[in-house]
Amino acid sequence: MTPNSFISPQPAYVPGEPVERHVADEELVWTEDEQQQIAAFRAQYPTHDGAVMKGLWLAQDKFGWLPPEVIQFVAETLEIPYAKVYGVATFYTQYFKEQKGQFVLDVCTCFSCQVCGGYDILHYLEDQLGITKGETTDGGLFTIQEAECLGACGSAPMLQVTNGPYVHNLTTEKVDALLADLRAGNMPGFQSVTLPQDEDELGGNRRSDTDAVTTYQTPPVSETLH
Amino acid sequence: MPQVFIDGQPYEFEEGGKLLQFCLDQGIEIPHFCYHPALSVPANCRQCQVKAGLPARDRATGELVTDENGLPVINYFPKPQTSCSLDLVDGMVVHTQYDSEEVAAIQADNLEMMLINHPLDCPICDQAGQCPLQNQAYKYGPEGSRFEFEKVHKPKRVQLGPNVVLDAERCINCTRCTRFTAEVTESHQLSIVNRGDKNYPMTAPGQILDDPYSMNVCDLCPVGALTEDYFRFKARVWEMSKTPSVSDFGAKGINVDYWVRDNQILRITPRANLDVNEYWMPDAARLVYERYNENRLQGARVNGAAVAWETAYDEAARVLKDADGSVLFLGSAWATVEDNYLLTKLADTVGGEVLGYIPYHEEGRGDGWLISDDRAPNAQGCERLGIRALDASLLQSKLAGASVLYVLDDDPVAAGVLSGADLEGVTVILHASHATNETLPHAAVAFPAAMCVETIGTYVNEAGRAQRLRPAKMIRSMNRSLMMAMGTGQSRIDRGGTPFDRWHDVTNKVDCLPGWTVIPELADRLGRPMHYKGPERVMDELAETNPAFTGATYPAMDLLGVALEDIGEPA
Ligand code: SF4
Ligand code: FES
Ligand code: FES
Repeated sequence: MTPNSFISPQPAYVPGEPVERHVADEELVWTEDEQQQIAAFRAQYPTHDGAVMKGLWLAQDKFGWLPPEVIQFVAETLEIPYAKVYGVATFYTQYFKEQKGQFVLDVCTCFSCQVCGGYDILHYLEDQLGITKGETTDGGLFTIQEAECLGACGSAPMLQVTNGPYVHNLTTEKVDALLADLRAGNMPGFQSVTLPQDEDELGGNRRSDTDAVTTYQTPPVSETLH
Repeated sequence: MPQVFIDGQPYEFEEGGKLLQFCLDQGIEIPHFCYHPALSVPANCRQCQVKAGLPARDRATGELVTDENGLPVINYFPKPQTSCSLDLVDGMVVHTQYDSEEVAAIQADNLEMMLINHPLDCPICDQAGQCPLQNQAYKYGPEGSRFEFEKVHKPKRVQLGPNVVLDAERCINCTRCTRFTAEVTESHQLSIVNRGDKNYPMTAPGQILDDPYSMNVCDLCPVGALTEDYFRFKARVWEMSKTPSVSDFGAKGINVDYWVRDNQILRITPRANLDVNEYWMPDAARLVYERYNENRLQGARVNGAAVAWETAYDEAARVLKDADGSVLFLGSAWATVEDNYLLTKLADTVGGEVLGYIPYHEEGRGDGWLISDDRAPNAQGCERLGIRALDASLLQSKLAGASVLYVLDDDPVAAGVLSGADLEGVTVILHASHATNETLPHAAVAFPAAMCVETIGTYVNEAGRAQRLRPAKMIRSMNRSLMMAMGTGQSRIDRGGTPFDRWHDVTNKVDCLPGWTVIPELADRLGRPMHYKGPERVMDELAETNPAFTGATYPAMDLLGVALEDIGEPA
């Protein structure tokens, strides 16, 4: 874009304009099990507002992403204003407001990852998949996104797969292996990354990729819901 | 009483308040954006920061710790505090930007940061001239910006709903607008979307901001991000005069400011009166502004022909004097207390009867808040003068034997209380504000009436609060009372006017007159002059003599009105 051809961006949904539907009304129902989960979320907080994030998360798990009708469905379920839930959903990048590929690869290019080659990894991925960041491959298998710090700077560069497992200490070979695994339908497992205090346990090797320690494991967030 | 020390000065305070509001009440200005007295306190703009602390006390004894000079040692908070959210505590010591360079620097830095992504398009922004961001950046901000990169771009010209337009680039994310819809109207139509420097208020997908009170967000918005659709690019703020008065939209008596340029009402905004409308007004009450400018009846008429006012007075007086049947009068819930009162006196003069006022009560129109069931502003004022809601069948039966019907500021045909046919054989004298008045074709004498924005007077709202009208725009023949009320001397126009001066402009003046000018003219000609020097004296007399108006003098009513004694239900 040349500097003078500026056109102001539009909001994602222009007020009052019809919104394209992606999920049919009859699909907008919770199963018995989901209803119980929602009841449990609500019980955790003094007001219904508190359950909004978990509610959205559950909905994203169920529908794959959060089109407006799903956001509205969550709002109605939790009896909180639609606009408010929409505001929360747009605040977090981990809530998908657009349809994504089956595997979303969030490549960190924030400071630590950047100096350790985060952009190289990002561009390598882009070359391999023939798309650029923000895009989804034709078959709908992969989406590449650029992410800010995901809190794993110690094992930079890294990426996250669909809000789930992290893949640490990336190299092009590891990217190739990851893509092959994912194409075969295998999600990477959770991998423990050690902290300085584990060094003794690991014989001084804290850049190890071994899944040696279990002490500090936390399961991926998506799994904590089930 | 507990005390707080602000910039070295002691102030006594009542327990339970916050520091910022207390300072504002004391006349100590501290810059702020997100704080609004009617909304919750999120402390998100960070503009109101001050340095604050408490005197140190010995933990063991509870005694104040003093330094070598015997002065108390103050334990300051390690970081500046947002005064809007800081509870006042006895003994608290506060340093504002007036006293502390550190605080002044913090506030300047905050403003510099706020302006990083602000478009600085003040020259084309409707808010310029009344913009807290502009004013406070000018007073407390840095001289320039160190930000040399392309600013973040956000949606502009977004029609959020029928009445409100958003320019997201100007937004500083104070959340006043979203808090208004969440806390005041509870329509929850707005929410801040997205994150960081890309966020702005927006409706949920597919929905619009159609809250009946939506335009209050434009008043709340401390920048030009939310503007009233009807007023965008109409006039610069400094080209308009702003007159505190009362809305004639319904019986609520909403306190407003009328914004005038070239003798046209361009905008109406709420004026704070915590006993009436707090800080708010409904959109519908703003959108009536064109009524005051358009289709106005101009110049006196006799039998439809334009005549000099004097001629019309003579004719009306003749009609009243020569009446061989009964003379009927209709008061008006649109006219002021003063005009209605003078009407009753005129009726006495000619031995006529005031039948009542036409009621505009519409069951279900109201919303239980600022929109009332009663469409007219002054039914209560009429009731207090003993003028009752008109019974249409009574009017029609009385019309049979009547020779004159005198109507103050109203339109009985359009109101449906009588038809043109009912007026056969009756001479009608009419005060009418609009050329579209449906009774006008039947009027023998028509006096164009000054509307609430052009007159001086009093409305009594449905809760019995007497409130003053002030003239906001000039009429063709300004008399001394109007001149004085508008704060200008007789000869100001030719001497001191500039093109931006409201007194300079002679266009768009409506050739009309208030009832308190016309009715005494008639009384003069009927040999019973009314010796009032203007409407203020009329009200003085009422306040003195009529218990339903006790205390309602102009000085007492001033800007916020006077709550009148309850007179009970009309008999
Ligand atoms: S639009 Fe105005 S009122 Fe709303 S958050 Fe932005 S600056 Fe505040
Ligand atoms: S910078 Fe990449 S995880 Fe922190
Ligand atoms: S006014 Fe205090 S933080 Fe905004």
